[in-house]
Amino acid sequence: MEHIFSFERLWKVIPQLTPYIGISIRIVLYGLVLGSLLGMVVAVIRIKRIPVIHQILSVYISFMRGTSMLVQMMLIYYGLPMLLLAVGIDINSWDKMTFVYMTFILNEGAFLGELFRAAIESVPAEQTEAGYSVGLTGAQTFLRIVLPQAVKTAIPGYGVDVIGMFQNTSIAFTLGVVDLIGRAKTIGTAMGHELEAYVYVAFLYIVVSILFRILFHWIDKRYSFGREGVAG
Amino acid sequence: MGFEYDNFLDSLSYGIRYLPVTAKLAFTALFVGIIVGLVVAVVRHYKIPVLSQFLAVFVTIYQGIPTMAALLVYNLLFSSLIGDIINALHLKVAVRDVDNIVVGYVALSLFSVVSISETFRGAFMSVNKVQFEAGYSVGMTKLQTLRRIIIPQVIPVAIPGLINNMVGIIKGTSLVSAIGIMEVMNASIIPCSRTYSFVEGYAAAALIYWMFTLVLETIAKRIEIWSKRFRKELA
Repeated sequence: MEHIFSFERLWKVIPQLTPYIGISIRIVLYGLVLGSLLGMVVAVIRIKRIPVIHQILSVYISFMRGTSMLVQMMLIYYGLPMLLLAVGIDINSWDKMTFVYMTFILNEGAFLGELFRAAIESVPAEQTEAGYSVGLTGAQTFLRIVLPQAVKTAIPGYGVDVIGMFQNTSIAFTLGVVDLIGRAKTIGTAMGHELEAYVYVAFLYIVVSILFRILFHWIDKRYSFGREGVAG
Repeated sequence: MGFEYDNFLDSLSYGIRYLPVTAKLAFTALFVGIIVGLVVAVVRHYKIPVLSQFLAVFVTIYQGIPTMAALLVYNLLFSSLIGDIINALHLKVAVRDVDNIVVGYVALSLFSVVSISETFRGAFMSVNKVQFEAGYSVGMTKLQTLRRIIIPQVIPVAIPGLINNMVGIIKGTSLVSAIGIMEVMNASIIPCSRTYSFVEGYAAAALIYWMFTLVLETIAKRIEIWSKRFRKELA
């Protein structure tokens, strides 16, 4: 057998594969932006303990926590069209990417919802009372006193979550989406050698993950003002 | 074509039959992760030269690789090298008899070592430096201090993180379905290839994973409370 790894082939796959990182980034952006919005709704409902919805959300969060994203994605991909067909909406022609986005948004909604809830609840009740005592309304107290403190608490967890989400984008290829791994597979088949493409994919994931980590470390430092004295 | 309840039950029974495979994958990875992860954390905490720097770089890099990508790379290496390995070791097994579940064990164990070592490292940092000094001051060696003073304090702190690691590992086991290992995920969809309706299969797999995680999490929470029984007096 000839060499299973050659740098010649590695150089050849680099320009072919690199643009596909964009698909993973796009999934992360969708999951981050829409997932955060969903997470905020989830957090508010859970904190206010709105009956019925609160219980439904507990089950939703438990499900998202207890099953892998791969299972969730398959369930949404095969289950949602069937569910919607029953009420007369046909989504069978939708792009596969839409289902990937949905999975990430729903999954992130649960995880970020819990993260936000924990962060908001970590702000001592006296802070809210202090807001009321100087005559602020409920919304003003939340926006000006509680939220800025909660955001600081949430940042490290948020960073870990985003990196995790970025790595989870590697499951998208199982639906047949041509992302990094999907493209690596087709290139590998065409060349007769898959290893170089996969090694490069792993390398790209490492680099982007580390960049994300540096970014969040910087954000965390940037917004930790006023905390040093308290942390002690 | 709606949701067929009978097919769902069919998938459920197939999936449950392969739960031991998933459980074995998860527990092996968890066990290896706790043992090796603890060693890695200790090495990094004591800053043992060379080894600790190497592990720091390795952990940082390995955390960047998605388990899925690692699995695919290992599987490829495994399938292209297994013949050579068998020849080199003069083993009397045919290439096709070697199950690639080994790849699943290796990939999940490495993932678990890396993530659990970070949990332990965080827990080590939470132990006050004074505790180490107290151990040395009564004439204990480094290892004695570690075993009798530090680790008993590290464990209760680490348990919540370990529970998260465990849940992550269980979820990770479903990824090995991508390299064709027969476990809960792949087994649940066996009946589906007959009906071409996959919802029931994946719904069954989701239910099995969900229940499995919930049961283990409940047990782990009990252990967490039990492990903290000496801390209450302090708090």
